Amino acid sequence: MTIRRIPLLAAAALVLAVPLAACGSDDSSSEATTAAAGATTAEATGSEATGSVPDGPTISIGAQDFGESAILAEIYGQALEAAGYPVSQEALGGFRDLVFAAFESGDINLTPEYAASALEFLNDFAGEATSDPAATVALLQTQLESRGLVAFEPSPAVDSNSFVVTAETAERLGLENVSDLTADLRLGGPADCPDNASCLPGLLSTYDLDLSENFTPLDGGGPLTVAALDGGEIDVAILFSTDGTIADKGWVVLKDDKGLINADNIVPIGSQELVDTYGDALATLINKISASLDTAELTELNRRVGIELEDADAVALSWLQAEGLVS
Amino acid sequence: MAATVVNTISGAIDFLLTPENWTGPRGILARTQAQIWISVVSMAMSAAIAIPAAVWLAHRRRVPNLSVAMVNLGRAIPSFAIIVLIFPFSIRFGFGLGFWPTCVALVIIGVPPMFTNAYSGVASTPRDMVEAASGIGMTDHQVLRKVELPVALPLLITGVRIAAVTIVATATLGAIVGYDCLGTYIVSGLRRGESGRPEVLVGAVLVALLALSVDLILDRVERRMTPWNT
Repeated sequence: MTIRRIPLLAAAALVLAVPLAACGSDDSSSEATTAAAGATTAEATGSEATGSVPDGPTISIGAQDFGESAILAEIYGQALEAAGYPVSQEALGGFRDLVFAAFESGDINLTPEYAASALEFLNDFAGEATSDPAATVALLQTQLESRGLVAFEPSPAVDSNSFVVTAETAERLGLENVSDLTADLRLGGPADCPDNASCLPGLLSTYDLDLSENFTPLDGGGPLTVAALDGGEIDVAILFSTDGTIADKGWVVLKDDKGLINADNIVPIGSQELVDTYGDALATLINKISASLDTAELTELNRRVGIELEDADAVALSWLQAEGLVS
Repeated sequence: MAATVVNTISGAIDFLLTPENWTGPRGILARTQAQIWISVVSMAMSAAIAIPAAVWLAHRRRVPNLSVAMVNLGRAIPSFAIIVLIFPFSIRFGFGLGFWPTCVALVIIGVPPMFTNAYSGVASTPRDMVEAASGIGMTDHQVLRKVELPVALPLLITGVRIAAVTIVATATLGAIVGYDCLGTYIVSGLRRGESGRPEVLVGAVLVALLALSVDLILDRVERRMTPWNT
């Protein structure tokens, strides 16, 4: 009893936010806590709140079907696991529609999301998202509330849709900003672009540019779009700003000079149940991870997974170690 | 759940009743036309490959097992995989997005029913009928044209009908590699989650209606061409 209380108090002191009530409930969690603490090293116990994790549901992290989502799921998952939480990874094999269906069915209770895109998905593309992350997350929070979900703090890392051209096209046509685009250019992007407020309709309203006649529906910043731009089938591709291919091919991301593109900051979304059970310690850890990540680092992690074909879990671990988030 | 179904259906009806959804480069009319166009091209190519080969092999009474097995393999390979596998080559060799990768997959699924039916049709000509035809002095070519092909016609047209319906319905998959057709409603609707469901339903219903119309039209053609058969 006394032996277990000492590291508990130390941990509580370190993680200033842990409320006293959480300590009381810890006593009932002896077996899970001991098992989790045994799985991690003594050093981890010192730096994180290992040992103070109350009994609760397994944190099932749902990753969408693209590399970055898998990397982010691994980053949050491994850090939580090292801190003593029971974690399982669920590859959803699909996109946002499956994420929220999986929350509803209880298959997952945590996912790395993107603030503006998640908001627009949940509000039926009402066009509420802006380029302001705080305002966008606040609106997202209200959408999540009725679904029993909650958004953690957004990361400074932004993975937004971006308009990308090859270096040759950029040079030949003198393209630097989105406002330099002309209506004769062929655009390729996700199939829902004609209905997406920050895609074709946004180009028309914000940039007075109508590319709808020259739009080819492809995938959401995936291999089809990359192949189409690489093969010269389209002039402008909608890719994600953190896509490792962009750096690899030396492509040019056009500057969104009129602020069309919404604040797609990384924002973890979890179930209210998770937050209620695990309390502030969980939120503090998740927010700390989010705060440590930036766009450049995420692009590099994507390049390592997408181009160098390293495994997402290994790349996530090396980043966590470099940031001192796990030992 | 029931509410979701009702919303999806009423949303789909609203979608269909909105005139703007029918016109323009991404309207229902343009996409239906695209779906028909790729189906026509694929049908012509499949027929040109399948029917002459099948008729010739059956006429010569060649042992068909290997060729039938090979052709039927085309039915077993998922069209989805064919499209995705061919896509990068199509771009590399300048055939572009969408149309040609989809076309190849459609030809591969269009050939088997036409080949098998044309073969069975010609091969089913009774032996004594062929011998009688030769007996009255018909040349080999005349036997094929005046005896075997008419006998084969009903089965052959059935093969064409099956192929056409399959191709029209499968052309939907072109949407995944950038061929803007009725399938694009499904791909696009899927990306938009709950709000996109009516669009998915619209795509599915339109494809089904188109495939059924093709079936109905070819059924009429079949009756017209083989009046003795009804």
